[in-house]
Amino acid sequence: MTEQRETLGLIAPVDRALKWLSLILGGATLVFMTGFSVWNVLIMRKALNSPIVGAEDLLILSLVVIVALSIPLGARTGAHIEIEVFESRMSAGFAKWSMILVKLLGTSLLSVMAWRLWHAGQGAERFGETTQQLLISFERFYYLLSFSIGLYAAVLLLDIWQLLRSDKVATLKIGGDPL
Amino acid sequence: MISMTLLGLLGLLALFVLLALRMPVALSMLSVGFVGSIIANANKFIAVGMEADQAWARGWKIAYSNLAGETFEAASNFNLLVIPMFVLMGNLAGVSGMSNDLFTAAYRWMGHLRGGLASATIAACAGFAALSGSSLASAVTMGRVALPQMKRYKYADSLATGSVAAGGTLGFLIPPSGGMIIYAVLTEQSIGRLFMAGIFPGIILTLLFIGAIYLVVARRPEAGPRGDRSGRADRLASLARAVPILGVVLVTIGGMYTGFFTPVEASSVGAFLTFVVAAMRGSLSLDAARTVILETMNATATVFLIIIGAFVFIPFMSLTELPAQLVTILTSLPIGDIGVLLVVILAYMFLGMFLESMAMLVLTIPVVIPIAIGLDWDLIWFGIIVVIVLEMGMISPPVGINVFVVKSIAPDVPMGQIFRGIWPFWFAMAAMIGLLILFPQIALFLPQTIVGG
Repeated sequence: MTEQRETLGLIAPVDRALKWLSLILGGATLVFMTGFSVWNVLIMRKALNSPIVGAEDLLILSLVVIVALSIPLGARTGAHIEIEVFESRMSAGFAKWSMILVKLLGTSLLSVMAWRLWHAGQGAERFGETTQQLLISFERFYYLLSFSIGLYAAVLLLDIWQLLRSDKVATLKIGGDPL
Repeated sequence: MISMTLLGLLGLLALFVLLALRMPVALSMLSVGFVGSIIANANKFIAVGMEADQAWARGWKIAYSNLAGETFEAASNFNLLVIPMFVLMGNLAGVSGMSNDLFTAAYRWMGHLRGGLASATIAACAGFAALSGSSLASAVTMGRVALPQMKRYKYADSLATGSVAAGGTLGFLIPPSGGMIIYAVLTEQSIGRLFMAGIFPGIILTLLFIGAIYLVVARRPEAGPRGDRSGRADRLASLARAVPILGVVLVTIGGMYTGFFTPVEASSVGAFLTFVVAAMRGSLSLDAARTVILETMNATATVFLIIIGAFVFIPFMSLTELPAQLVTILTSLPIGDIGVLLVVILAYMFLGMFLESMAMLVLTIPVVIPIAIGLDWDLIWFGIIVVIVLEMGMISPPVGINVFVVKSIAPDVPMGQIFRGIWPFWFAMAAMIGLLILFPQIALFLPQTIVGG
């Protein structure tokens, strides 16, 4: 019981950080995506026949930001779909250790992914990877995705630590009902 | 050197083992796709006479490049902008109380009929589905509004819960549908055309569900007693309160069909209008806004990671040529096109008993789409059939996700009773698939008439 409280005590700051990051940056990005797109479509394009140059570029980059912010949050809330049909047929020991193995595999894969995204970001400028109209380099956005995937890997390591200490993973509750 | 077919089969086996061990679907596809690409590419280079160490180095290089490239490709795909926007729209609709107005309007018009409350639930679910692309959202939102009412009027638990669980699945078929967006992206079909193709099947399925309720209460009148009859003034007033919702649907979906908006534009305009309606109704408290943002990001995470996984896994499957061989085998069977289609549908129904619908969609597309292409099926029509079979999975025992959602709202109703209640609706879906096979124009009429081709 004490161990479980300690575990939760250590994870709580991570959860708080993820939640606030998602609320502030994610919220701002969602507001920007909605407002900017509506402004561009309804006012600039349909009413004034003068669409904003590079609007699509900015929306694409906003999408990368929202995806990057969402993935680590989803990792803590349990948003990433798992098939749990066989869980009830597993012994408690097998369920625990197979989960640890699976999470270790996941951590390795995500680490490689984060590394390759970082690497691709370093080459983005050289290979001319930019948006089409405003020619904004994708470099920083590769780094952002790399950081996001790295955070997901870190969340999986935290899950393993939780499993080792208390045999179960406490997920982040984001309030409200499942929508 | 390993044969490509064997490599494909081993890849599928590894995928199922990882899934059974509860590795997230997206990570399972990423793992198998990444490792499989290394081996498949190395094999191909060795087969053309390259030195083994050089071939393996190339295999690693290609797989690394795919891993980063496909991830960024998915995260920066302009068409996928519709996902966070439509999810935001659905979540805003969920907290705004629009579901109450929809149900009240449907109830005032149909509540006095036998089984009328259950029919009103289905109609309200269909209305809510036009605002939300998620079946879970539809089932949760409408379930909370409709179940207490049906309990009050002493509806049979099986009919009450069954109608909410089945009505919720309409969220997956009636545009904007999350399943259709993923299908369109993975099969490179137009999201707008798929949305158009979903309209008539969505309406017909709604009517079939209401027909199923009629049959149930005709056999057992006590399962769905009549409610109070509403006066003309009440009916019109309820309709007036539902007008803003209809307005959002008309502007968003109508704008898309008339070509005034692209699907991406329609999604942002829809989210914006739903926000305006929610704000005007005073239902956007800080707490509600917080829930909407976090739930939108949560759903975005689910969908995007699974798409990234599919983007890495599908090229590997193509490399193994396993889907192509499956096409050859299936087309050589003496069962004809319809026979092959029935085999595919039965396979989906079977998988639907165990797999979550979105997972099933991304896992099966690499194998099933080459069959559809090989047999020259219209991929828009086939997409609608796939979406309906996936809906069946959402209410099929033992793991129908919508049934679990309804159970969480009605904890006192035993699971077995809920599952008994879904069968009339399950058969209605099967009938819908039959209609689509017999009359493909049900799905194809709108896209062909409006867009052409």
